[in-house]
Amino acid sequence: MMDLTQPQWVKHVVFHPFEGFEDLRWKKGGTLKYTAIIIFALFIALIAIDRWCGFQFRPLPDAMFSVVPYIMRSVVYFLAWVLGNWAICTLLDGEGTMKNIAIYSSYALIPYIAQMFAQVILSHILVRAEAVFFDTVYYVGIIWTVLLLFNAVKAVHQYTFTKTVIAIILTLFAMLVILFLAVLFLSLFQKVYVFFYSLYTEILYRVRV
Amino acid sequence: MKTKAKRRLMQSAAALCALLSCASALMLPASADEPYDVYNYNYLGEAVPSQAGYLAERSVSGLDLGTTALNAPADLFKDEKDQFYLVDSGNNRILKIDSEFTEVLEIFDRFTMPDGSETRLKNPKGVYVSPDTGLMYIADNENARALVTNPDGTVVMEITKPESTVYDQQLTFLPQKILCDNAGNIYIVLNNTTKGAAMFDANGDFIGYYGANAVAATATVIANHFWNAIASEEEKRYRSRSTPTAFDNFDIDTVKGFIYTSTSSGSTDTDIVKKVNPEGYNLFSYMSNYTWGDLFSTWYSGTSYKTKIVDIDIGDDGSINCLDATTGRVFQYDKEADLLFIMGATGDQVGAFTAGNVAAVETKGEGCENIYVLDAGKGTVTVFGQTVFGQIVHDATAKYNGGYYEEALEPWLEVVKRDGNYRRAYLGISSAYYNMGRYRESMEYAKKADASARYNRAFERYRSQWLREHLTQLLLGVVLIIAGVMLLKYLARKQKNKKQPSEPAQTGSGT
Repeated sequence: MMDLTQPQWVKHVVFHPFEGFEDLRWKKGGTLKYTAIIIFALFIALIAIDRWCGFQFRPLPDAMFSVVPYIMRSVVYFLAWVLGNWAICTLLDGEGTMKNIAIYSSYALIPYIAQMFAQVILSHILVRAEAVFFDTVYYVGIIWTVLLLFNAVKAVHQYTFTKTVIAIILTLFAMLVILFLAVLFLSLFQKVYVFFYSLYTEILYRVRV
Repeated sequence: MKTKAKRRLMQSAAALCALLSCASALMLPASADEPYDVYNYNYLGEAVPSQAGYLAERSVSGLDLGTTALNAPADLFKDEKDQFYLVDSGNNRILKIDSEFTEVLEIFDRFTMPDGSETRLKNPKGVYVSPDTGLMYIADNENARALVTNPDGTVVMEITKPESTVYDQQLTFLPQKILCDNAGNIYIVLNNTTKGAAMFDANGDFIGYYGANAVAATATVIANHFWNAIASEEEKRYRSRSTPTAFDNFDIDTVKGFIYTSTSSGSTDTDIVKKVNPEGYNLFSYMSNYTWGDLFSTWYSGTSYKTKIVDIDIGDDGSINCLDATTGRVFQYDKEADLLFIMGATGDQVGAFTAGNVAAVETKGEGCENIYVLDAGKGTVTVFGQTVFGQIVHDATAKYNGGYYEEALEPWLEVVKRDGNYRRAYLGISSAYYNMGRYRESMEYAKKADASARYNRAFERYRSQWLREHLTQLLLGVVLIIAGVMLLKYLARKQKNKKQPSEPAQTGSGT
């Protein structure tokens, strides 16, 4: 039973929100290769929804484009989630490894990404008065992803319902702490870099004189 | 032999030089004559280079007009017959100038009062001539009165400080600017009240105040409002009150009867320009915080340069011309308050003005062919003439604002040819194509103008048009896809059925 290929696993997990991840865990399915692809798709989708919508829905002028916020919202947030969840759940007797957390969480993001691409396609067909369809698509995608993510955490750590809720809330806190520390470290490194650079230029001047 | 070749080489080099200089002279843009860079704003509010709509033609001093030099002139007005009235405040006189602005026709410096005595002006500040009656209204500032006179200089009426209880008797009465509406009501801008212009009826009786600015809704003002609501009467007396800034200049659109006010105060951004109807209601209240003049104030070596609109003029075509004293620029808007052209600068050349000292702006012609700027510092009037580009834009704008979108298409296309940065042209073309039913083109130009809402409108029509034309193909396609899917499913099931129960049978049939 359930000898699925990797693409079939993705499909199985997405369309079976409640037992899909348990099956995935039981059969040790899922691979990091797909995680990378999914996060890249998330990155593209975030850009697409800001840039490739039909012109009737596009408020952002092309002149103001920076890729950094999109990397931030896809790769950095995901890494913070995985790291935060792993850190919290290791303390809370979770059974998931970092690799499995990354795989399961990324699979759970698929409806959210699909929802964004669906919005982009719809925006070329709809006019502003019909914008309510976007909300529908958006909420379907969000609720689906939340459901999947919840069950992913539950399955990967073999938690009960309440413990999963607590773990997710703590993970969100952990993410905040991680991001805060990241910003702190960045500015610190910047200062250190500037310090050494000015030291270097100073020495250079002395040597010349 | 050698010298001959050398000479020939020299000759050809000289010819080349001459040709090059000729070509470079031809290639110079028209705006190179201006002592400033011509610009306009794009949809992001960035200043971009633009074609000049007006060029400064000449500057006219008092001596050019055949009289003595002007001394701190304060106002310029053009009447129905295109004759100009120039208030020469420092010389206590009013000059009547011909429509070509070349010579003085008449000098008003003394007037006959109704009782036969003679009176003189003292530092007059404003003048207005009624198109209906031909009466001249003069704001005689330091005599603390306003005069209404016949064209021959006999005074019909003298308006002094009203004795009404509505008028605070502690206040002085120093008229700055004056005008009258079609009903004969007289409006006088005073420099000591924020309640609006003092309004008098045709008999010179004080009616009340007209068209005060609104108070800018800052956090302090809102907090004040809240505290006043819960304060007792006793407390209220000691609380600071929120007062608006006073407008200090105005002009009347004689055709429609609207009075446009301008506020030069640097401390507010609210109600800089108002369009007030006879009831006193501001029709521009929906764009109360619209930025008139330059969109950004600049900061240069410790001083902030912010637009300060000191005069406003409504052209015969309804255009709104604002004069900015800080930069010496005239900002010309159409009647919907969309920016058309910017001209002028500070400096000494023709077309540039004394910083902070420009006094008045006036326009002439059906399509605003000429703009006159009065420079109080130099004592000159600078005459701007419309360029071909300016003409085309005005033509297109007039048609566009009148609702003749299709007629405006051709001039707008011409505008785009001459200045690709002129955003309003793209909007105009988009509207024209929309009205003509060419939605595809309308979408394209709306995109170029970055007008998302307009694109949406055109796209909606384009989509329904497309659906109507392609309905058959679309339905056929859907039917084909459904049929294809069903067929595939049927084939898959058949194959599956064949595989499972017929596995032993297959070997049997094979033998």
